[in-house]
Amino acid sequence: MRSIRLLFASIVSFAALSAATVVQSGDPQQVLRSGIDEVLGIVYSGKTPTQPFSVLVRPVLEKNFSFDVITRRAVGPGWRQFSLAQQQRTTVLFTELVIHTYADRFEAGAQPGITYAAPVVLAPNKRELPTTIDYAGKKYAVAYRMELVSDQWRICDVIIEGVSMISNYRAQFDPMFQHGGAAEIIRSLEEKLVQITAVK
Amino acid sequence: MKTRSLQILFWLGLMILALPLGRAQQNPLPDAAAKAAADEDEYAVVKIYDPLEPFNRTMFKFNDGLYDYVFQPISKGYVKVTPAPVRMGLGNFFTNLKFPIRFVSTLLQGKFKHAGLEVKKFYVNTVAGLGGFIRISDDVPDIANLPSEDLGQTFGVWGIHNGPYLVLPVLGPGTARDTVGLVGDYFLNPMHWNQLQHVDGYHWWWDTTLQATDTVNSLPELLKLYDEEKKAALDPYLSVRSAYIQYRDASVKQ
Repeated sequence: MRSIRLLFASIVSFAALSAATVVQSGDPQQVLRSGIDEVLGIVYSGKTPTQPFSVLVRPVLEKNFSFDVITRRAVGPGWRQFSLAQQQRTTVLFTELVIHTYADRFEAGAQPGITYAAPVVLAPNKRELPTTIDYAGKKYAVAYRMELVSDQWRICDVIIEGVSMISNYRAQFDPMFQHGGAAEIIRSLEEKLVQITAVK
Repeated sequence: MKTRSLQILFWLGLMILALPLGRAQQNPLPDAAAKAAADEDEYAVVKIYDPLEPFNRTMFKFNDGLYDYVFQPISKGYVKVTPAPVRMGLGNFFTNLKFPIRFVSTLLQGKFKHAGLEVKKFYVNTVAGLGGFIRISDDVPDIANLPSEDLGQTFGVWGIHNGPYLVLPVLGPGTARDTVGLVGDYFLNPMHWNQLQHVDGYHWWWDTTLQATDTVNSLPELLKLYDEEKKAALDPYLSVRSAYIQYRDASVKQ
């Protein structure tokens, strides 16, 4: 009897603790909305940008995306064989690549319209937030996977029309890792960034 | 003659795809790395059956050059001389015209409610949207966001797997299943029904002009998506292949 009470008490306290964590970290949809609004506010401010969009939106993206988690998952199981220095270098380079490619998608013109659908609970600390982006007469389904990372809701994957950013990079990193390990992935990211910045 | 051989190709392809062989070759990556990935999280690499990879990579390179040096200049010229509202209106018109592909596909998948909504959407856009040029359906909640349907996707819903990944000349990424579906879609597309032949004063180039307009009008958006994918990719071939398979799998599941 006592053990049942104890079990009940521990379940209740755990539930209360989880609830407190969720309340403290806010509503993921609210976090996502404010992040997207912030980015759109910068890009479609109507002012001529003084710096490239990748520089302007970086602080917002760094605040809202968990690049550590994204990089680790994009590399996959091989990540455990990276040295700490290699992990840090890969995270820095991959963050740079994602920010550049994200920012490059914006162009002058009408601001896209965004409709938010009801979030899907994947786990207590995981949500999928489906949105529809209406841009230049076309509609695109974009879902954001958000997770509680250090008590903050952060974006851990973006799924555009069913295509997961992490799965897409994993499909590219995996054969690279099989072929040349961490060094090959780092070399490839460095080359890509040189290529991107040279184009600009 | 051309239509008859396409019909034969379509049914032959469908029969081959229905063989169990197609299913057996679509298993997840059997090696240890993929198993470890599967244990780690939900992003485990799924093996894409690509027995023609050397040929596909060559074709990918060929298409890439074709897009850069032929299609991009055409697309840029077209964007320059065609105002955005006209491009949008034409895009809406051609999408609306391809209603039979979506209607038949939804019926074949047993999505009868969806098929009914497709009819409603076609009716609303054709009658109230000036023949489909204006997408009035955007303002009608139940038909505003209907997912696109086609025969390749229908085969997927029936349980037919992708089969070998293929990079087709000019058309780009595809699979054996979707290529067969594409042939079926060809026959369901009213632009290939030769209906203009019954109009007085018909010239052969009317059909060609209509089909060329549809193709050129869709180029700017397609090339933009392709360019974005390529820019972000470390290995563009693998990136496009993964994106294509993920996109098609998602459309089968929806």
